[in-house]
Amino acid sequence: MTLFNEIYGAYFRIAERVLARKTVSDKEIHEIIAREGFRDSVLFVPQKLLPQSDGSDWGLLKRNPDGSLSRVMKHPPVKILTLLHKRWLKAKLADPRMTLFLPDEEFAALSAALADVQPLYQPAWFRYADRFNDGDPYTDPAYRSIFRTVLNALTTHRALDIDYITSRNKRIHRLFVPLRLEYSGKNDKFRLYCCSMSRSGQPKGALINLGRITAVKTAPVPKNGVLTVDEIFEARKCSQPVTVRVTQERNGTERFLMEFASYEKHTDFDQATGTLTVQLWYDQTDETELLIQLLSFGPVLEILSPPAFRARAAARVAKQYELLHKLQ
Amino acid sequence: MAGFSELVKNFAKTRDYVLDFFIYGFKVRGDFSQKSARTYDDERRRVESWLGGFVRYDDSRRGRKISITVDSGHIPENPLYQAYDARSFTDNDIRLHFLLLDLLYDGQAQSLRQITDALIAEYEAVFDEQTVRGKLREYVSEGILTAEKRGKTTCFRLSPDTVDGFLERFPGLTPAVKFYSECGEFGIVGNRILKSAGLKNDLFLHKHAYIVHTLEDPLLCDICEAICAKRGIILSAGTTRKRAVSDASETDISEYRVIPLGIFISEQTGRRYLAAFVPEYRRFSSFRLDAVRKITLSDEAEDYDAIMAAFQKNLSRCYGVSFGLRRTPGIQEPLKVLFTADEETEQFFIERLFREKRNGTVTQIGKNLFQLTVDAFDPHEVMHWAKSCIGRIVSVSGGTKEIRERFTSDIRRMQAMYGGKTNDTVQ
Repeated sequence: MTLFNEIYGAYFRIAERVLARKTVSDKEIHEIIAREGFRDSVLFVPQKLLPQSDGSDWGLLKRNPDGSLSRVMKHPPVKILTLLHKRWLKAKLADPRMTLFLPDEEFAALSAALADVQPLYQPAWFRYADRFNDGDPYTDPAYRSIFRTVLNALTTHRALDIDYITSRNKRIHRLFVPLRLEYSGKNDKFRLYCCSMSRSGQPKGALINLGRITAVKTAPVPKNGVLTVDEIFEARKCSQPVTVRVTQERNGTERFLMEFASYEKHTDFDQATGTLTVQLWYDQTDETELLIQLLSFGPVLEILSPPAFRARAAARVAKQYELLHKLQ
Repeated sequence: MAGFSELVKNFAKTRDYVLDFFIYGFKVRGDFSQKSARTYDDERRRVESWLGGFVRYDDSRRGRKISITVDSGHIPENPLYQAYDARSFTDNDIRLHFLLLDLLYDGQAQSLRQITDALIAEYEAVFDEQTVRGKLREYVSEGILTAEKRGKTTCFRLSPDTVDGFLERFPGLTPAVKFYSECGEFGIVGNRILKSAGLKNDLFLHKHAYIVHTLEDPLLCDICEAICAKRGIILSAGTTRKRAVSDASETDISEYRVIPLGIFISEQTGRRYLAAFVPEYRRFSSFRLDAVRKITLSDEAEDYDAIMAAFQKNLSRCYGVSFGLRRTPGIQEPLKVLFTADEETEQFFIERLFREKRNGTVTQIGKNLFQLTVDAFDPHEVMHWAKSCIGRIVSVSGGTKEIRERFTSDIRRMQAMYGGKTNDTVQ
């Protein structure tokens, strides 16, 4: 049982999609390759799928008198749930978040169906060292009910009438159109990207912690246009990237690049000085989180710009310097 | 183009190149000195072919730089999963795969001889028995087929469990697989289930996702197998320290015989570690997964349960992922970091302390003064976190002299670097 196996690969998938049809045209084959394959697959796969006079093809299709192609098999390929799939699903059954998706009866039925399967791993083997300890209450029936209502609205494209308490303890009650559920491993929380209508009727992006929702019910989608999740990302994106310089001291460059791998960024390495200059793009609402993360690198990293962002760092450092001097 | 293939047999080499393009993103062709220029060109072309839209090119005086740039919190699918789509195979592999699925479609069990004969009779496909036997055995181990004995003959039948059947029978499974395909361990497997069913994740996003972790999953699979079987492993690991500025050299690789016990994951630094017992030194240690090149399973560890029990006990003194350098725990004083926060107006910071203290304890020791005490094997890890609270640290005591001095020196250097005075509310 291996992860890196051709049976899960792009070429097998292309063949499976082609063979799912009783007859298929050359054009359709090219379309399937373009959809399921890599950028250059169209250069390699057609000659293996289409019958060749020298027999160098895969022998899966035969040419009909009318020019179309038929599979040499009698049936469309069966898509088997492999042992790897089952072992992975069995491992997920031990994750408390799985109960958010499966009602009790369905959970029990799936557990029974996978009773003889050994899990791929046990969650206890994985230790999330720096995960925050106030994650969402996945086993709380009220939370589960809210999660399912939100998920249901998201999958059936309905709106939500949401009552929630903000981080500043303010109660909000409004109609929202759900767009995506976001999970943060660091916070161990779900948040809902959604669109609400401002008083002027203009659509506005919002991000709501599921743990802060006190009541929710589905509602029809309002007739006003809604934003897409990409439009919300764009609206929240910083106007200017943060530019930082990182030195090699304490393995700084490597540590930095790994830690900020999840950001959209542009890196430049100066071999003469051994320093790295990086531009990072970020969500404006995460600015403080980013600042904290950058400062934790200490003197190995310097925030160069924008000036306002650098000033925020400077202010914190100045406060810290004063605290140390008070002590001495 | 002659000789180039989109597919690869060895995942490890591909993983190295993707890491270099994705994590470092500033290397040029000449920096990949350990491999030939041809190898570089082929690997670059594969990565371009797999990850087209995410590849960025920048021309510099040193040459053209290739990087993979993406905000991983804004994408529905990890683009690096495509590396798993690229396993090479033979013409016989793919032909036999689809012919066997068709031949056994009715769910009836057939022997090797019956199958080999039917391949000729029904499809004019001539395969020797040895080839067919090998494929049948492989598919039994993959769970595509089941094997059963009829007298002395082994017969094979198609597994009755299909992807579509499971998703139909358990409606909650579809959103669950969409979620776990991007969040959590071995997301690649969920992605394979979705692709098999012709589905895509259109519901979930994963903030703080380290998409590059998926490249370690084949190694992680071996580690899980070893933990499950309570076996030791032989670990071949390189160095990550030099990787950012040079080509990782094959000569930097070392071998360790260890007993695997778990995986440590840092959500904030993006690193994953194998936590293991090193019998040679009689101590626990952690090894970065992105530095591991190869894992070979070795013998069953006789005293595995006792080692695991000791490991669990030690975890209470592990602040992050490190077991430190000390051989005897308990000699070093606990580290105490004193923070200031206004109880009236800065409750958010006090909440943060409690939320992020991990195995430390937070105590209020005076008006607006809160002390974090951590008895950790490696106090450096505590200080790395504490530095995210710059502007609030009143004092640092305990730990080691070196750690305290380094903190003071760091703040002096940062003050010289910034010299700022303006106000900022410290979170």
